[in-house]
Formats: sequence, C-alpha cells, structure tokens
Amino acid sequence: MLKVSNISKSYGEFLALDNLSFTVKPGEIFGLLGVNGAGKTTAFRIIMGLLDADQGEVTLNGKKIDYSVTDRIGFLTEERSLLTKLTVKEQCLFYGTLKGMSKEKIISRMDELLERFQVPEYRERKIKELSKGNQQKIQFITAILNEPELLILDEPFAGLDPINVELFRKEIIKMAENGSMIIFSTHRMEHVELFCKKIVVLLRGESVLEGYLSDIKEKYRKKNIFVKGDINTENIKKIDGVLGVIEKSDEFEIKINDSEVVTKVFAEIKKSKDIAKFIVEEPSLNEIFVSKVGETYDE
Amino acid sequence: MMSKLNYLIGVSLKRKIKTKWFVAANILLALVIIGVSNIDSIISFFGGDFNKKQLIYVVDNTEQSFDLFKDQLNLVEENFKQTEDSSYEIKLYDKDVENAKKLIEEDKKTWIVVFNKDPETTISATVISEGYIDAIEYQLVSSAINNTKVALATMNSDLPLEEVAKLYSPITIAREYLDEDKLSEEESMGAIMSAVFPIIILPFFMLVIFLVQMIGAEVNDEKSTRGMEIIISNVSPETHFFAKIIAGNLFVLMQGGLLLLFGGMGLLVRKLLGGNSIIQGFGDDFGSFITKVLDNGLSGQLVYIIPLTIILMILTFISYSLLAGVLASMTTNTEDFQQLQTPIMLILLLGYYLSIFASLLKGATFIKVASFVPLISAILSPSLLVLGQIGIIEVIISILINIAFNWLLIKYGLKIYKIGILNYSSKGLWKKMFKALKTNS
Repeated sequence: MLKVSNISKSYGEFLALDNLSFTVKPGEIFGLLGVNGAGKTTAFRIIMGLLDADQGEVTLNGKKIDYSVTDRIGFLTEERSLLTKLTVKEQCLFYGTLKGMSKEKIISRMDELLERFQVPEYRERKIKELSKGNQQKIQFITAILNEPELLILDEPFAGLDPINVELFRKEIIKMAENGSMIIFSTHRMEHVELFCKKIVVLLRGESVLEGYLSDIKEKYRKKNIFVKGDINTENIKKIDGVLGVIEKSDEFEIKINDSEVVTKVFAEIKKSKDIAKFIVEEPSLNEIFVSKVGETYDE
Repeated sequence: MMSKLNYLIGVSLKRKIKTKWFVAANILLALVIIGVSNIDSIISFFGGDFNKKQLIYVVDNTEQSFDLFKDQLNLVEENFKQTEDSSYEIKLYDKDVENAKKLIEEDKKTWIVVFNKDPETTISATVISEGYIDAIEYQLVSSAINNTKVALATMNSDLPLEEVAKLYSPITIAREYLDEDKLSEEESMGAIMSAVFPIIILPFFMLVIFLVQMIGAEVNDEKSTRGMEIIISNVSPETHFFAKIIAGNLFVLMQGGLLLLFGGMGLLVRKLLGGNSIIQGFGDDFGSFITKVLDNGLSGQLVYIIPLTIILMILTFISYSLLAGVLASMTTNTEDFQQLQTPIMLILLLGYYLSIFASLLKGATFIKVASFVPLISAILSPSLLVLGQIGIIEVIISILINIAFNWLLIKYGLKIYKIGILNYSSKGLWKKMFKALKTNS
C-alpha cells in the first residue's frame, strides 16, 4: 500500500503542497486532480523521492521510498522524458536497465508491449522521428516495462486520440486487476470517471475534495434533470431550488440544488403534454470539479 | 548501485564512440595530423622551385672582397642553419653597378652586393634588390659583409697566415656550474622544451575544451528532454554525476591516446618518406628534441617529467569535468551552458599563455605562484619544471593541491548538482545554488 502522510512543500514563500494525505491500495486506481499549478507534479516528485518534503512522509508497503524500492515503481512524467536521439529499443534498454531488468527480459517485454500498443514497426526507429502520440505510447511503455507495483502517471493522455486513450485505459485497468497501485493526474474528468475509484482534488496545494468517487457524487446534492417535451421553462425557473434551465438541441437540462426539488419540478412538468423523457442524473465529475475549484476561486 | 554506475558509464561512452561522427572526426584528425607532420613532403610532391638558390651578384670594386664574402656567407649560413648545403649562388660581376641593376630586371629575385673602398672603414657595401629582403636572410648577408671587412683588415695588417688562421678558428667554451646538479644538457633541453612544450600541450588544451563541451551537452540533453527525472528516480544524483565524470574522462583519455597514435603514425610516415625537409627548420623542433633527448641521455629526466605531467593532466581533466558537470546542472539548456563555459575557457587560455611567457619572463613570481593553481597547473608546472624554474617538490605540491581542489569540487559540487539537475528555471538560480551549498546532505 502507498501511504502519503501529511506532506507539505514550500518553494520560498509559495506553498506548493499543504498537508496532503491519501492512501492507495493494491488494485486501486487513484486520481490526483487539480488545475495547473495545484501541486500535482510536486506531489509526484515527492512520492518518487525527487524532492524532499518539508514535512510528512511517503511509504510503500510500510517502507520509505528510496533507491532500494524504485525498481518496483513506474513513472510517466507530464513532459516527454524520452531521450529523443535514441531508438525505441535503446530507450527501453536504457530505462529498463536502470530499473534493474536484464536485457533479455527488457527485449521480450518491450516486444510484447509494442505489439499490444500496435507499434511494433517502431522498434528500431529514433524517438525524434515519431509523432507526439506515438512518443507518448513509447513513454508509457517505458514506464510499465518493469510491471511496476506502483505506477505514477502524470497527465498520461496528453496528445492522445480517443482510440489510443482506449488502449491506455485497457492496459491501466489490466495492471490494476493484476494488483498494481496506480496514481494518475489529468485535466480530463471523463478520463477519471473511466478508471478511478478514489480521488483527491488539489487547489493551491491543498486538498479540497477527497474520497471514493461514488461517495463524492452521492454527497453532492446538486442534480441534473433531462426533459424532452413541450415544457414551460419560465414556470420551472420560478421553482425554489432550480438553478437554471438550459435549452439544448432537442431537450432541456434543468439544474437543481437538491434532490428534493425533483418532485416539485416533476409536478410542473406533468402539466405539459408530449413528455418523451424525464431523467434525473448524478452530476458529472467535471461539474463537481468546476464547482469545487470555481467556488473556491470565487471566494 | 555499482552495476548501474557501470551501466551508465558504458552507455555514456557508447553514445560518444558508437557514432559515425566519432569515426569520421578521427579519420579526419588522423589525416590532418599525418598530413601536417609531412607537410614538406606534400608540398614538394606538388612541385615548385624548392632547390633554386638565391642568386647574388657581387660587384667588387675593392678587388679583394668577393672570395672573402663568399666564404663568410657560407660560414655564417652553415652556423645558422646547421647545414653545409648553401642556399646561395654567389657570382662575381665584372661590370659596373648600372649594368648589374639590369640583371635584377631580368630576374627580380636577384640581389646585388656592391663593395667599394672606403678610407675610413676599409670597405663600404650596398645591397640592391627589387623589393624587401627577408629579415633573417638580410641578417646573414650583413653579418657576412661585416666579417668580410674584418677579414680584409686582418689580411692587410701584415699578420702571418698562422695568426690569421688562429684568429678565425672557433673557440672552445667550457661550462662550469657551481650547482653540481646542473648539466649543460639540461640547459639546452630547457631552451628546446620552451619551444616544443606549447606544441605538446596543445592537444591537452583541445581535449579539455572537448571534455567540458561534451559533459555540458550530455547533462543538458537529459535535462531538456526531462529524461533526467526518470534517470534520477532510478539512480542517485551521485551515481549519475560520477558516471558522467568517469565516462567523460575515459573518453578524453582514449581520444588523447588516439591523438598520440596519429602523431606516431605521422612520424612513422615521415621516416618512411625519408624526412627530407625542403622547408628549413620545419619539423626540426620536434626532431631535434627527440635527438637531443636520446643523444644527451636525458631520457632519465623524462622518466619523472612525463609521469608527473600525466598525473597533473589527468587531475586537471577531472577538475574541468567536475566543474563542467556542476555548471551544466545549473543551466537549463545548451545555449546557457555555452555562455557559462566561456570563463572556463579563459582560465585555460591564461594557463596556456603563461606557459609561453614562462620562458620569456624567467623567475617571474606571478607565474611561479600560478603554477600551483588548479586548472592551469597541468600546463604551467611541467613548463616551469623543464625550464628549471621549479623542482619536483613544487610539482608534487601542485598535484596535492589539485587533489584537494577536486575533493572540494566533489563535496560542494555534488550539493549543487543534486538540486541543479532537477531545476528547470533560471529564476533565482544563484540563490538556489547557495542554498544548496548550505545543506548538510
């Protein structure tokens, strides 16, 4: 289990992380969310031992993370961290050997992953000759080459098309099923909803939302009602608890501040004819994220 | 961790050696060095008037000067150029000066020497040429003219022939040194070395520049691609630092070995070609240096000069590589590093110039003190040692100072390196570095 306990980090006057704590158990996929500069990369660097925290500690299976355990960790940085003059094979051999793997093991694992990511033809190609998306694939391959116990992915989907996001997703889920602990950061909330059970939302280094995604959504009282039909939007807007009505191409989205408002809205809609759809949905993570981060920013 | 260190050294070396540019550059270097060593043979291969002698017509209005001048010019030239083959063709011209000048119109390279009687100074002379005469050549001709005057005066003084012969016989000069350790061979060695040493240390100068640029480029390449984060998350900054330093130094030692090999090949080719020099003095410096060393039995001296120089050079390579590594870690791209390496190059250049000045400004305290300063002592100390201005003890002190300097560079440089390699911003750079120096780890 990865345990991050009360870590804080300042750069001079700037507080990059403030008392951050979370745990990730084997098989869990954990999302570290936040806008740019929220402290995600600092948190990853501290976990990897690249930065010393001012306070707090990070342990992997009860042991402080140092060079004796880094062979069991995979790390994908936000920026491309590939040595672009090398070929894909040389790059894999370089990072693989630094992870303590044998040459034979690296080659067989690399071939297997290149095949799985549908790029076996790039084996002998120089990294600088590859497209950004393919470079990202190679970077991901080098991060999981050692079948890590803990995989840290900083913005893994940057520059990827939906097909490749799906390839990554399958691999990440497979690794979690095999017992790996996975932490990743992203701006794209739909990606988080695809994988994560647990999240932490950071704002200026501070955790503003944390826990299991299902619990967070459950606790979030705002809901959305989707209605298709001939409704009187002005009457609905007057209902206490209705935050707004958005007219879409063939339906209406009614935003309410509490699930108890649903009955009041339903009573009004019943008055209308030709109602083809009435669905109450949980808010998306994106909405929760924007509302949390946005509210705090507004303060 | 040791295997990762070895691996990083291997990878770093392989990246430098297993490139077509390394092979191409060394082929080019070999060709240039062999070519320069045999440049006279190359020039003669393409032909030219190399054997054409300088024609000098003598208009002898004294009727006694021609033979004496001819003998004196040959003698002066033999003494100066250390060769019996005269490069002058001296002819007596029996018409007047105005006619003689027409000879220059026919061949513009011709010179005319006119001797006239002079009641006050025995003879006077005029040298006529189309344009300027090479300063050394003119020096030889004017010496021969002066000697002609002395010879003429001696002959006219009614001295017996035996006395005249004695007058012109060379003097044997014996040397005596109160310091029993001093040898006349050493004295001549010093003179030769002062000319030859700057040539020998030129490859060292070149290799240091190579080393600094190479380490800077490699560290910056890993930093700018952020590959550094992956590397440092798997190996400690110390391991990474030492891998770069060791690989860089191994590489320059290997490159230095190759330069020596190319130099040897150049000399071998020269020997096979017969070493016929068409350019006076070319190749004589190194050739006469080797000959003197062997003839005078001075190889005994080189037994300690060479190892001490090699030790100093290796220690200095290490100093420069440590400095380059630390500075490269502070910069965020190769362009910044190139600016930062300029002061390093100036220090090296200072050492080089001081080594040249050392033979001109004998006994200069500043140069002696500078010979102990790390980064330049590898150039200065051996120069002063061969010039006899310092002894072995001073060189050993320089070595010890170098070791201490390297230790300090490792101790404090590593602190900066640890912070620097993961720093991507030049904002508050010096503050960060000074803060790093204060850390205890």
